[in-house]
Amino acid sequence: MQCAESLRVQAVFDGELDAVSASAVERHSEHCAECRALLEHLESTRARLRRDLGYGQASPELRARIGRALDAEQAAERRAARPRPAWRARPFWLGTLTGAGAALAASVAVVLLAPLLFARLPDELIAAHLRSLEPGQLTAVISTDRHTVKPWFAGRTDVSPVVADFGAQGYRLVGGRADNLDHQRMAVLVYEHGAHVINVFTFPPGREALPAERSRLGFHIVCWRGGDLGYCAVSDAGWEELASLRQLLLGEAVRDAR
Amino acid sequence: MDDKRTRFEALVLPHLDAAHRLARWLCRSPGDADDIVQEAFMRAYRAFDSLRGADARPWLLAIVRNCHLSALAEGRRRAYEPLTEEHEAQQSVAAAAAAPDPESASIERDERRTLARLIAALPEDQREVLLLREMEDMSYREIAAVAQVPIGTVMSRLARARAALKALWPETQGEPRAVR
Repeated sequence: MQCAESLRVQAVFDGELDAVSASAVERHSEHCAECRALLEHLESTRARLRRDLGYGQASPELRARIGRALDAEQAAERRAARPRPAWRARPFWLGTLTGAGAALAASVAVVLLAPLLFARLPDELIAAHLRSLEPGQLTAVISTDRHTVKPWFAGRTDVSPVVADFGAQGYRLVGGRADNLDHQRMAVLVYEHGAHVINVFTFPPGREALPAERSRLGFHIVCWRGGDLGYCAVSDAGWEELASLRQLLLGEAVRDAR
Repeated sequence: MDDKRTRFEALVLPHLDAAHRLARWLCRSPGDADDIVQEAFMRAYRAFDSLRGADARPWLLAIVRNCHLSALAEGRRRAYEPLTEEHEAQQSVAAAAAAPDPESASIERDERRTLARLIAALPEDQREVLLLREMEDMSYREIAAVAQVPIGTVMSRLARARAALKALWPETQGEPRAVR
């Protein structure tokens, strides 16, 4: 019942699409009565909300309360930062003990912090995904043809991933690129799903731990193993959408292995 | 006044009104909203070093939202209820000042009340996304950061909120005058 373009019409209205996509959507709306009506509704809703809902302001009392609370917070910080004058009264050998304590503390810290260091990978994945969305960074080889993309990876990356186009299922292969990540040269497949870009990063066999499924900064990460390789899909598309791409690629890996 | 406080007041304090509006739309009473905002500002001040040059507004609003959620979890506050007379009184004073005669002032007051009720009837996740978009003029990415959901979720919640308003919109209400 609802036009498939409605989310894109909304995105144009909210100024979220680039000029090229926006003009494509506008051309569509010229022919689609439903989308024209949607646009009118979006405009009248916004006008009415902005007219009638009002822009409340924080009261002067609240402003003053926050000022006082900040004063108190600042004073507390200063007290905590003030150096203790009594340290010279300690015997000289106490210093060496403190040194040993510091060394112990440092080794405990390494043990405790190690998982945090390994947990950096999701951040790296998100950063790589964001980099890829910069103009001209998404694909180094542009093709929907697996026989073009797969050979391109040879010699450029440490791994040769399963490559397949799932245009019929809504996941269009737009190309690939090589990214430096996790101290290696990784093969990245780029899919388009509706308005979303999905980057699929491929890890070589050595990578033991893959990040658990998680979302950060509005992006999802879904990882899985296929054959001896690890894969991580990163996108702002929903969980289910990433999960179905995973199913498709897993299916492909099975076919590949035969 | 030290450096941290000066920078905080320059970067974060300008968003007090936005923080207050969001809290006001999330909370039950104006007093609760003020408490949430004050708590959020204290948390923001303590965590200020972690901002590192990022945009302060979505960051602050995410903190406001978290304060609201943790207050809910502690059971200190119940979920949202429609705006009180206090808000309507404020609004109608403004309306009376703007309207040419008492009759249209009262019509406008009714429309405001209806609209506030429609907004209040939305599920909280849709309401917050809609208000951040329409009243705070935030981008999808910023809203995603505040609501801690993917951008795709922001888009679908926004579409659902707008469609719900359309369905609830009383037929008798006239077309809004253009104010854009």
